[in-house]
Amino acid sequence: MTSETKLGDSPSYIEVWGDTVSPKHMWLSILMGVIFAPAAFLTSRWAFESSGVDAQLAGSYSLLVGLGACLVVAVVGANLFKPKRVLVESELGSREDAMDAIEAEVGPIGDPDTFSAGDLAEVKQLGLYDDFKRRFEQNSAASTNEEKS
Amino acid sequence: MEELLPMIGWALGMALAGAIAFGLLGLVSGTDETATIAPITLLVILLGVPPVGVFAFFMAAISAKHITHAIPTTLLGIPGDTMAAPLLRDAQLLRELGVPHIALRKAISGGVLAALIAVPLAVLFAWLLTPFADAISSVAGWIFLAAAVLIAFLSKSRWAAVIALIPFVLLVLGLNAFTLATLDKTLTVSFFLGIATGPLIVDMFLAASPVGRKTLQRADKRRFELAADSRTWKGRMPSPFGVLSRGQLGATAGAATISSATFVFSPVAMTVLMGELFGSRVKGAYQRLTTQMSVKNGTTESTYIAETLIPLIAIGLPLSPMAASVASPLFNAPPVYTIDDGVPNNLHTLLEPWQFLVFGLLAVIIAVLLTYPFAMTQAHRAAKWIMQKVSHEAIIGAFAGLLVVISLYEGGVIALFVTLTVGLVGGMLNKLFAVHTGVQFMGYYVAVLSVPGILALFA
Repeated sequence: MTSETKLGDSPSYIEVWGDTVSPKHMWLSILMGVIFAPAAFLTSRWAFESSGVDAQLAGSYSLLVGLGACLVVAVVGANLFKPKRVLVESELGSREDAMDAIEAEVGPIGDPDTFSAGDLAEVKQLGLYDDFKRRFEQNSAASTNEEKS
Repeated sequence: MEELLPMIGWALGMALAGAIAFGLLGLVSGTDETATIAPITLLVILLGVPPVGVFAFFMAAISAKHITHAIPTTLLGIPGDTMAAPLLRDAQLLRELGVPHIALRKAISGGVLAALIAVPLAVLFAWLLTPFADAISSVAGWIFLAAAVLIAFLSKSRWAAVIALIPFVLLVLGLNAFTLATLDKTLTVSFFLGIATGPLIVDMFLAASPVGRKTLQRADKRRFELAADSRTWKGRMPSPFGVLSRGQLGATAGAATISSATFVFSPVAMTVLMGELFGSRVKGAYQRLTTQMSVKNGTTESTYIAETLIPLIAIGLPLSPMAASVASPLFNAPPVYTIDDGVPNNLHTLLEPWQFLVFGLLAVIIAVLLTYPFAMTQAHRAAKWIMQKVSHEAIIGAFAGLLVVISLYEGGVIALFVTLTVGLVGGMLNKLFAVHTGVQFMGYYVAVLSVPGILALFA
């Protein structure tokens, strides 16, 4: 058990827009966004207009300031609030299981020795050749057994 | 020449900006294209960037995002964005086989090849369609109505989505009448923002309500499994043409050609269909999986490129699912680009066909040059960094801020209320009834372009 998943904590995460967040941190971040960015936009528009910049241009410039403010919000937010994700780096499952799933869903892998030269080289380089070959031999042995019985 | 140099400067600069911004955003899982590319493109337009720059920005953004979206899809097993979803199962199987890097390499190589093919092909198909453009434009109102019904029917909700168009169109008409009375103008940008970020807005409402929060609660942090780092080539990095077998090159090119011509279909549907069509002919499960990775990711590029370019060059009205959603600002972003009464004043009228070809290719090449080597060498580190450093809270906060800023820009507090209204209603339609943003964008155009014609018939 890692320190991140303490037992007994009440569920404190919510899933918003496809990932888990802490509600408190999300609201603080949103609050930052909807206060700071529009404030930067409105203030700079007022400043540009009162210094005599053409209204259309003042709008565009302050839009750029607003976008910059949103980026600042993102950077500050990322520094204040750490991601609520667990990242595990792992060697994944067994290759046997994967080949079972592939043969069930996609179709037989086949005899790697009948692959085109390019595919064969690719499979050998990836270290898949021996497993594919063994799988093919097992499959053909199984099917000849079935024919006999 | 004097005119050409600044044009090239804008195109290069904006393509770089688009490729970097959306190449990075492609790494963040679940960043839907409509919700991210449409608002930022809108911003670029409103800022006053010249047409060539806007176009190059957009083309580089979509090409770059659909290269890097393959990184979370293959290495983390979560779709990078909406278009990555059809690749997920094939990527998972290859990941479990212990070769996630080959899934990634096949996917991005297919993307590069298809993007480069799609630009000239789309320009060609647009040119073939141009003689019929006037005829199409003159009945555009009816085409929008038919397309809206078709796109709605093809969504997961079928007839429910078709019927749901009625209240949605009425909502748009009502809000337009309201803003016409209060602001003396109708809004556009705020509708797009509301539709595009509806899924986020509805989640925020749910999170704010004690009743709704229960549906979002999770006991644990979301768990992601990052595949171990592996890179198998020695020495020079292989080119896309070295990564794909001859059969895969042919299949990807074929899929790119077909999906470029069929610009009226949903990009996700085309991606699934092309994968089936070209995958099922391949013998051997390993070859089929790797071919599908290449063909499908290639199709995510070619559909996006062709569905943008063909209506843009030939007609000037957003008559494809892509043009009506992600690429919408290129057609209609008042006061800069407009399609008032169905008469385009946008990139269609501001750029020549050769400019679409040259600057489109330029933007795609820049995006590819930046993202392909990056994805080939840095995928693992980048995926890990994003997952560990960039919190979802930070992204949500920034987008919430952007929503408010752009709304205030278009029409002050009233525009903000319109965005909120459209976002809540549209988000609920999306979340509860799978009436996706493409249907809603068509609904908006039905309200603006079809309804006046229909009412005139009965007047």
